[in-house]
Amino acid sequence: MTNLSPFDIQARPNRLLAQALSAVLFVVCIGLYMQTSIARHRENPEDRVVPSGHQLLAGVRSAVLEPAEEDDYIAPDNASTWERLRHSMIWKDTASSGKRFFISLGLLIPFVVLAVHIGLFPWFGAGFLRFFLFFDKIVALSLLPILFIAFGIDEWSKIALIVIGVAPTMILDVTQMVKAVPQEQIVKAFTLDANNFDVAYRVVFRQVMPQVINSLRLNLKPMMLFLFAGEMIAASDGLAYRIAIMRRHMGMDVILPYVLWVALLLFLIDFSLRTINRRLHPWFQA
Amino acid sequence: MVSSMSTPEITAGLPLFGEERAVRAVAEVEAQAAKSISIEDVSVSYALGRAARRSVLENISLEIEEGEFVVLLGETGCGKSTLLRMLLGQERPTEGTISVAGSKVERVDARSGYVPQRYSLFPDRTVLDNLMMGPLTSNYHILGRLRPSFWGARRAVREEAFRQLAHMGLQASDAGKYPHQLSGGMQQRVAIAQALMMKNRVLLMDEAFSALDPSTRGSLQRLLRSVWSETRPTVVFVTHNTAEALFLGTRVIVLARESKDDACGSRVALDMKLAEGGMTLRSHGQEFLDLVEHIEAVSNGGRLTDLSGRRTALDRCGEDSGLAGRVGVFHEVGETR
Amino acid sequence: MQSKRLGIVSLLACSLTLLVGSLNAVTADAQAPTFTVGWSVYAGWNPYFYMQKSGILKKWADKYGIAIKVQRFDYAASLDSFVAKNIDACAMTNMEALDMPAAAGVDSTAIIVGDYSNGNDAVLVRDNLTFQTLPGKPIMLVQKTVSEYLLERGMVLNGQQSQLGKLHLINTSDADIVAAFLNNRSNQAVVTWKPLVSQIVADKSVHSIFDSSKIPGEILDLMVVRTEVLNTPNGQKFAKALTAAWYETIQQVAAGQSNALKYSAAASGDSVESYKEQLRTTALFASPKSAVDFADGTDVQKKMDLVRQFCFTHGLLGQGIHSVDDVAIAYPNGTVQGNKARVRLRFNSAYMQAAEQGKL
Repeated sequence: MTNLSPFDIQARPNRLLAQALSAVLFVVCIGLYMQTSIARHRENPEDRVVPSGHQLLAGVRSAVLEPAEEDDYIAPDNASTWERLRHSMIWKDTASSGKRFFISLGLLIPFVVLAVHIGLFPWFGAGFLRFFLFFDKIVALSLLPILFIAFGIDEWSKIALIVIGVAPTMILDVTQMVKAVPQEQIVKAFTLDANNFDVAYRVVFRQVMPQVINSLRLNLKPMMLFLFAGEMIAASDGLAYRIAIMRRHMGMDVILPYVLWVALLLFLIDFSLRTINRRLHPWFQA
Repeated sequence: MVSSMSTPEITAGLPLFGEERAVRAVAEVEAQAAKSISIEDVSVSYALGRAARRSVLENISLEIEEGEFVVLLGETGCGKSTLLRMLLGQERPTEGTISVAGSKVERVDARSGYVPQRYSLFPDRTVLDNLMMGPLTSNYHILGRLRPSFWGARRAVREEAFRQLAHMGLQASDAGKYPHQLSGGMQQRVAIAQALMMKNRVLLMDEAFSALDPSTRGSLQRLLRSVWSETRPTVVFVTHNTAEALFLGTRVIVLARESKDDACGSRVALDMKLAEGGMTLRSHGQEFLDLVEHIEAVSNGGRLTDLSGRRTALDRCGEDSGLAGRVGVFHEVGETR
Repeated sequence: MQSKRLGIVSLLACSLTLLVGSLNAVTADAQAPTFTVGWSVYAGWNPYFYMQKSGILKKWADKYGIAIKVQRFDYAASLDSFVAKNIDACAMTNMEALDMPAAAGVDSTAIIVGDYSNGNDAVLVRDNLTFQTLPGKPIMLVQKTVSEYLLERGMVLNGQQSQLGKLHLINTSDADIVAAFLNNRSNQAVVTWKPLVSQIVADKSVHSIFDSSKIPGEILDLMVVRTEVLNTPNGQKFAKALTAAWYETIQQVAAGQSNALKYSAAASGDSVESYKEQLRTTALFASPKSAVDFADGTDVQKKMDLVRQFCFTHGLLGQGIHSVDDVAIAYPNGTVQGNKARVRLRFNSAYMQAAEQGKL
């Protein structure tokens, strides 16, 4: 029989109860939000700080169906929902933020390859490891003025911010993974007549790949953080740009859906990486 | 299995047990045999801070002939694994030289096969891919699979892999499994097969069966013995288990350090050749145990002065228990200081 | 089993009630007899720092038997706090007064018209760009603020209204705009305010093609109080004390009293020299009379109309506002710009008048 025993490590709550418990905090959050919103709207029917469900719905509709700027393409009145969506604010912002995000993701690949070399080849380790250990401790955001000089204020400074922010951590992480590959595996590969690059790419890289993907999953949030920082400082479109602009006039009715949308996107990327990892590396446990 | 083995030439026709002339005769025959591995005056030590050094091995000299099954025996920390890593090329001696298959060992390469205790298979490859990896990489390096001949070669290697798999007592249906889906014993079978696929004449095994349960271990020992007897590669097998050493080897080398002092490295405490089929010793309970105890005493740093007494004991037990013909010759007795 | 689940549900309900209760308690706290004024760094607002440090504010607050706290914010944060009703009064421009509190339904009243920007905001360019050649070039500015308003007014006054849609704006944080602009020669235009303007024009290749002295009285700096606060007796005392203290302070500043200048300059970390330079392009209404004349005149209505049209076309009034008249503005003479039922921003010159007549 299940007793209510939150401080019992050996407790076995039944399934239904566990499910219900996991929903509690969500319900509390939504409840608190609604309560606050209702209270504030009783006082000021036009309150924007904690928009009501109705306002949120209007905000979502305008984000999803209406163009961002006055001068953007405006769909004709009889346009289909799909066409409106294609030219909507959220579509435009997601596309431009997504572009920056995926370019940076792509730029991380050479760094991962470099990390495999650093972990495996003593000469690379000697040349790069200390530098990246040092560089990892640099707070990337503080380099922004330098990034502006080096990359201008367009796309590249934002992408560089993400890469500089995330790459050293990734490099150190992957280097550790490579060093954790048992020496036996490397010796064994050499006795099977593998050359250096066989060992690097066909033994070690293959083995750390699932861990690299996991590390990337953990780094998604920092990447998003850096992207947001970049977009909030200088941009003309993007998800964080919109949030920054909406803040100017307390557009919480648009900001909140945007925040949830970003959370959903991050979850989806994380989920698909996890799925890919499981499909591609059935041998990898945990 | 054992009864079908032929007696190797070097011990054939020799008078048994410790006669002076027998020792001499062995030495002569040995000189003619091909040297597969030669270890010349090798010492290994590591710096321990400013002036102190920790010595691991001291003045080891060994010649191992083609086709010998050498077991390196000794307690933990006596340097037997270090010696094996040097044979592999993974470590370099502080002094002295090591040659395998006629040339000096500088780095890890494909002249020896390797079966470690753990991580012996590539976890990201199926059993079949593990087996095929050696022959395929040695002919087709990293971008080699773009060459058209690759796929033809792959087919041939694949057939060979299945043959080897069956030979090791594994099912064809195991070919598609990943290492983590296999038991420890099966993994080591595949690892041996993987090394054998390379057809090299030297096989280095580091505590290869030490993590297995006793019955699995026994069957793998028998398998290894029979595989060895078929093609007679040179095997250097590291273990800390005396029974395993006596069962497997044609030659048992015991490494031991004389004192616990860091400055004092291990030496060859005992180097003895057994005739084939040490296995049957098992049936001669007490005498076998005596020998085991003795070797353990040696490897624990005991002196060898009582060896002659033991030899007598062996002589005696040989005479009245049929040990004759199995335990061959105490080839050489390690120096004592 | 059933009863147990019921127990949990009631537990949940209990904790929810508790949480909500505590939240209400927090809201109730705001009714204390203390008032808080928020301000941020700007030439026309720095005197609030001096006003507090010199004890002028305390003197007047004591006279009216209330307590006034002064708190410095980042500009955006001060507006957020005002809209969230965490502070009672806040220094802001006429444009933000309209699109932040007023458009968010917080009925606000401007009790002091402190100054207008008379060159403090400027459009700066490299390479001899003009308004004719500006469209298509990247322009750095903090979007949806007076900077963008200034840029549009510049375009309109130079006959380039039809080109407005072709402007390529890059929203750039004011914290980084100087470094970002100066360090890359491919950035050709920037719109910003002092003292950032002074830092940028120090580079000789940059010059100003338009500034706020060409649109006098359109960028106003106000002291805004929540109308609901002003409607309480204590709130009126607060407004009186604040107005009285302000004019005592600003007259010292205008007279060049050394302490007044020193503290005001220190408020933004500027040197006295640099602060004086900023004051030259700030048209202070140092006497209450000048401010009352401006607020009561009809000019202010024309200028506010330009501002509210700008806010509306740029969506600054919010997604829910479908007509510019839905955020109406009331003036001291009784005129209402927009829907009379939806007055959200009020100009009230009564307190300034009282100061003028020495009735405070």
